[in-house]
Amino acid sequence: MNGSFLRQTWQNLVQNPWLNAITLGTIALSFLVLGLFLVVFLNTKGLLEEWGSRIRVTAYLSGPVDPDQAMRLKEKVQGLEEVREVQYRSKEEALRILEERMPERKEWLRGLPRNPLPASLEVHLKGEYQNSEGVQSLVKKMRGIPGIEDLQYGSDWLEKFSAFMALLKVLGLSLGGLLLLATILVISNTIRLNIFARKEEIEIMRSVGATGFFIRAPFYMEGILQGFLGAVLALAMLYAFFQLFLSRVYEPLKGLLGSFPVQFLTWEQMAAMGLGGVVLGLFGTQVSVGRYLRL
Amino acid sequence: MIEMIHVSKAYEGNPHALFDITIRVEKGQFIYLFGPNGAGKSTLLKLLYAAERPTSGEVRVNGFDLVRLKPRRIPSLRRTLGLVFQDLKLLQRRTAEENIAFALEALGAEKGEVLKKANQALRWVGLERRATCLPSELSAGEQQRLAVARAIINDPVLLLADEPTGNLSLAAAEETIRLFEKINLRGTTVVLATHNEGLVNRWPKDKIILEQGRVSESPLAPPSANG
Repeated sequence: MNGSFLRQTWQNLVQNPWLNAITLGTIALSFLVLGLFLVVFLNTKGLLEEWGSRIRVTAYLSGPVDPDQAMRLKEKVQGLEEVREVQYRSKEEALRILEERMPERKEWLRGLPRNPLPASLEVHLKGEYQNSEGVQSLVKKMRGIPGIEDLQYGSDWLEKFSAFMALLKVLGLSLGGLLLLATILVISNTIRLNIFARKEEIEIMRSVGATGFFIRAPFYMEGILQGFLGAVLALAMLYAFFQLFLSRVYEPLKGLLGSFPVQFLTWEQMAAMGLGGVVLGLFGTQVSVGRYLRL
Repeated sequence: MIEMIHVSKAYEGNPHALFDITIRVEKGQFIYLFGPNGAGKSTLLKLLYAAERPTSGEVRVNGFDLVRLKPRRIPSLRRTLGLVFQDLKLLQRRTAEENIAFALEALGAEKGEVLKKANQALRWVGLERRATCLPSELSAGEQQRLAVARAIINDPVLLLADEPTGNLSLAAAEETIRLFEKINLRGTTVVLATHNEGLVNRWPKDKIILEQGRVSESPLAPPSANG
């Protein structure tokens, strides 16, 4: 019986090779665009998280600070809800770092009558506070602490980046939704044409007493196969594009992007795409079978 | 076998396609459903293989109550029937053998059994040498026999044929009638719808005469329903 299903499915596919090829191409293209969005989105999200983890607030301390004072301040800041880690940087350490960064000015810096750099606390935030709100809330609390003269933090870029991510999400979801809808329509149209092409065969099957399941099953298998193959084809193309991106764009720009590793979809995400193809195939078939193959 | 009691069928624009039909066909009978074009023969046959449901009345075929038959049970009814359509419904891109094999496969038969049974059926209708021909390469009579072979592939208890001699020469028509008689001799009940008076007179059998959707003559109809 299964052999018959497969034979019927195969016949459906070869009966209209161009139609089926176009269908497969359209499904693959839809999934390719979706996949591209997913890869860009996931990597951008990763990049944002990576950058977010670098967020810190620098608190410059007022006047000369003795180590005890510094330790008390450090403990106080460490006790705040948003804080993961605090590092104390003395005036001397600050000067040494500056000297390292500007070796050509080393002599000039040493020639200064007194160290102009303030001591500071480098405050790192906990993961859940590594965003603009977290930074704002921490800064508000730290402003009230005596001994802290000035605070330096930068979260504007973070806000803009979050807005960009939200836009990407909306764009990806709406375009994705449209493409999925188009895919369902394309599949259902192909199945509809195959139902019409096999109208006589279906009539004969009905007349001899073939069950509804037997008549419908090849169409469902065809839809599922098209959806699945379309998704697999899209994944293959996506992987090829990804490799091309790695060699042509990522490697040359690696210095700019830092150590952030660009990633392809995980196995789970790829499996989900394959499954998505199957579900779309089923859905597309159902639309046409429900309408044109009432038994 | 077949029992219709006060059956009517109305369509939009044709309220009396069939009107108050009461007939009985017993097991093993060979009966003509005779009447002019438009008398309701095809509609009556459609009611018998559950392609249509009656507007009112009772229809029972091979033990199935067709008025209350659930759609998913229709295949079970059809497996007890053999259907020969007026337009034959042969698959033009498949050979004679493949046409029969297709019907068997649709019933879920195994591949080995399909070939064996298809060849047996072709032999039975005298088409064994034409197995690899496409329908278009067969004569009208041969095409008719191929359609009959496909109809009896599942050893039906009831064979329904709609105008099977419509486009045939006298010789081919006779051949077809002989074939139906042969099938009838195997124990299969045969109902043959025709408007061909010559055929009915030449090979006389029991007949139900339909006129304008009503039965005007029926050999086994209960007396109460004849009025």
